[in-house]
Amino acid sequence: MAVSLSINGEIKEVDADPQTPLLWVLRDHLNMTGTKFGCGIAQCGACTVHVDGAAVRSCQYPLEAAVGSEIKTIEGLSPDSSHPLQKYWVEMNVPQCGYCQSGMLMAAAALLEEIPEPTDEDIEAYVDNICRCGTYTRVRAAIHKAAADMKA
Amino acid sequence: MNEIVKLNRRKFLISSAALGGAMVIGTKAMAASVDSQPWDKANASGSAEFTPWLTINADGSVVVRVTAVDIGQGTLTQVAGYVYEELSPAWDMIKPEYASTNRDFLENNVYSTPGGALAYFSGRSTGPARMDTYLQVAASARERLKAAAAAKWGVDAGEITVKDGVISHAGSSNSAQMGELIAEAAEIELEAEPAIKDQSEWTFLGKKAPAKVQLPKIVNGTLTYGIDVRPEGMVYAAIRQSPVMGGKLVSYDEAAIKDMPGVLAVVTVDPGENVPTDLTPPFPFGVSTAQHAVAVIAEHYWQARTALDALPIVWDDGPGAQWKTTEQMNEAAMAAVQQTGAKIETSVGDFEAVFADADDADMIEADYLTPYCEQAPLEPLNGTCLVTPDRVDFWHPSQHSQMAYMVAADETGVAPENVFFHQTFVGGGFGRRVFSDDARMVVAVAKKYPGKPVQVIWSREEATRQGRYRPLMAAKLKASLGADGMPTALLGRMSGGPGFFVSGMPDTALTGIMKNVQIESQTVPFHILTGPYRGPGYNSNAFFVETFIDECAVKAGIDPMEYRIKLYGQWPDVGWVKCLEEVKAKSGWGETLPKGQGRGVAIGNWGMGGKPDEGTTVATVAKVEVSQDGELKILQLDVAFDTGRIVNEDAVRTELEGGTMFGLNMSVNEGLNIEDGRIVEGNFDEYPMIRMADLPTQINVHFGGLTNAPRFFEIGEPPTGVVGPAVGNAIFQATGKRIRSTPFRLHDLSWS
Repeated sequence: MAVSLSINGEIKEVDADPQTPLLWVLRDHLNMTGTKFGCGIAQCGACTVHVDGAAVRSCQYPLEAAVGSEIKTIEGLSPDSSHPLQKYWVEMNVPQCGYCQSGMLMAAAALLEEIPEPTDEDIEAYVDNICRCGTYTRVRAAIHKAAADMKA
Repeated sequence: MNEIVKLNRRKFLISSAALGGAMVIGTKAMAASVDSQPWDKANASGSAEFTPWLTINADGSVVVRVTAVDIGQGTLTQVAGYVYEELSPAWDMIKPEYASTNRDFLENNVYSTPGGALAYFSGRSTGPARMDTYLQVAASARERLKAAAAAKWGVDAGEITVKDGVISHAGSSNSAQMGELIAEAAEIELEAEPAIKDQSEWTFLGKKAPAKVQLPKIVNGTLTYGIDVRPEGMVYAAIRQSPVMGGKLVSYDEAAIKDMPGVLAVVTVDPGENVPTDLTPPFPFGVSTAQHAVAVIAEHYWQARTALDALPIVWDDGPGAQWKTTEQMNEAAMAAVQQTGAKIETSVGDFEAVFADADDADMIEADYLTPYCEQAPLEPLNGTCLVTPDRVDFWHPSQHSQMAYMVAADETGVAPENVFFHQTFVGGGFGRRVFSDDARMVVAVAKKYPGKPVQVIWSREEATRQGRYRPLMAAKLKASLGADGMPTALLGRMSGGPGFFVSGMPDTALTGIMKNVQIESQTVPFHILTGPYRGPGYNSNAFFVETFIDECAVKAGIDPMEYRIKLYGQWPDVGWVKCLEEVKAKSGWGETLPKGQGRGVAIGNWGMGGKPDEGTTVATVAKVEVSQDGELKILQLDVAFDTGRIVNEDAVRTELEGGTMFGLNMSVNEGLNIEDGRIVEGNFDEYPMIRMADLPTQINVHFGGLTNAPRFFEIGEPPTGVVGPAVGNAIFQATGKRIRSTPFRLHDLSWS
């Protein structure tokens, strides 16, 4: 069954079972591979995307639920990697292997939309993604830096 | 250095195409210079290949070929740094690419000269031999460019400078971009290759700390990991192996799923269906042996996965099912260390005589246990392979591209010159992707569906239950203490399943110091498969040894920090005491803490192999709080280390942070259970991972432990072993409870 999705401001046609998780629609059907598969049970957050501005774990988000919503993925976080989070992620050498970082960035971006000046506790609550390389302290520091920039 | 001289005798290759190509120099310092897919790049038209490691393009970009896989530790950036130091192109014009394993085979081991600098397509990026090779290659190219410029301008080559991609002569005001002189430079024959700079003359290495070159492509989602490759016509496979390792497939009911959407085929994998090659792999092929498995191939992954879940499969569990419970295995491992081990790892002096002379009151003995742990890289195991009768193309997030390349040849029987391995980026390794058993399973599935690229993806549950785990290990340590409280003799025993790693006990400073010591090991016939896991052997043994030392200090009534300073002061490598003094000074050691809080210290070395001034020493102090009902919170972690010297301060810092968190998770959270021979835990809901909320705001990495000894040892694995015992020893200080097994979360830490 073909449906239309609005992703990063573009309309995409997808022919897939309505129960297919959005993660696999993005990765397999649309070849948008920036969104990562990590666990499949909404535990790790590697697949985090925005649906109508809210961070959701796309591995547990069925295609049919995404129809009619505005979806944003890492590919659409900014047109040219100019989002302050992306800037500080590079400048502060945040990622190691980098595999979880699309999800980290999308979770952090949703946080800053909702809480422009987050505390450590806000960050811990919103960005509870798993990073096996252990980049957490840098993720936290970079979010604070980006928040300060966005306020300025 | 000898290898280099030989290499430079190669005639320089100039491609036949006309020189051309626009000059493109990035404007942003430290911008990405790596491609999303840095593999299989032919030399560009108009380029000059100075050696198989280094090609300069007409646009001035410099391609450097890297063998050690970048799994997030920054090998690509490190090698770019070597090139910058000696050749000085613009930083963002350095293009690291993965060296081709196929070319290595075809061109007589150009990248892996046996015993040479680059024998190993994995691991230690900073190994001095490898570093010197790259520095030499870059210096040799620079001198040829200078000689070419000197000839063209009629000036003395010694007056020419090369800086940020520009070759210039101040006296005559001549200058050229690097790419303009490559044709002439490639013709130059030098009487002798230039000497590389003395390390004291370095202006970049050890001075600058560039962020990893792939970061700009990580933050916009364009970096290509193994799971992201999309060759034309690709189909997907979901895989299930025998739930009990070593078990066999009896039957499956294909009819039950064949009409499900997208399903294309059901295929099986059997060990022994390979077509052996006569290649000599870096590890014996046995570590990559296939396991019995069923895979469903479908147009899309979700379809394959759904159909596999619905497929009725009957397994014969085989002998592994005799291990009914975790406790049964723990008891077997623990029983093995109650008697003399079958293998004596090291024996010096006469520990038995010293024990016999000691009062019972001066004897101390304890048993320890660490469980199976899964590396759990966040990118699930996967690979993509296209098998045809006369060619194999294999895209894979390997940690050892040469091993995976040879496994692909060994599985298919296709001649090695027709096997093409494409090294992708890797979503975490931690040892899991070294042995290439995952690579073999991918190829074994793909060869049953020839003519189409097949992307095989393990579910998280399947990856967790079909691991090559950190081994379950038990240990007994026993010592006699002298009048000053210091150990006078030591007995150490280790046990584990087949292939467990002993490193970290017979080859430690403690064992080296003791005049009377014996270390023994005993293999227990477990069926669970094991493999490297960040700091193999050491990650368990450091916990055993450093918890035991703490127990000795407590028995002697000496502060655990002072005890270690006195003990390791007897070891000739001064880095040990330097690291201890550093964390003692920086962690607030000795300051009074409220009830329920405690500090603990541990020190270890990864890679020393029993010798002083080798490997990397790490000392960690943990400050913890344990609530009365037993909840553990990590308040502060201070880490000091000695690698000798360092090349990139921030790269070292990130590895120390990451390795410390990895070791913390291992010690606090990780442990797999066995039920009827099967691994119980499947996903992160059952195998918990540390998250941001579990950590102190920062991990304090201190550089005062560095001795500046002439070595650059690796830093990824060394922190892993010591944070666990540091936390365990801190828990003892906080609660009086001595924890002798991991994970700590299973212990009742409550106090009153």
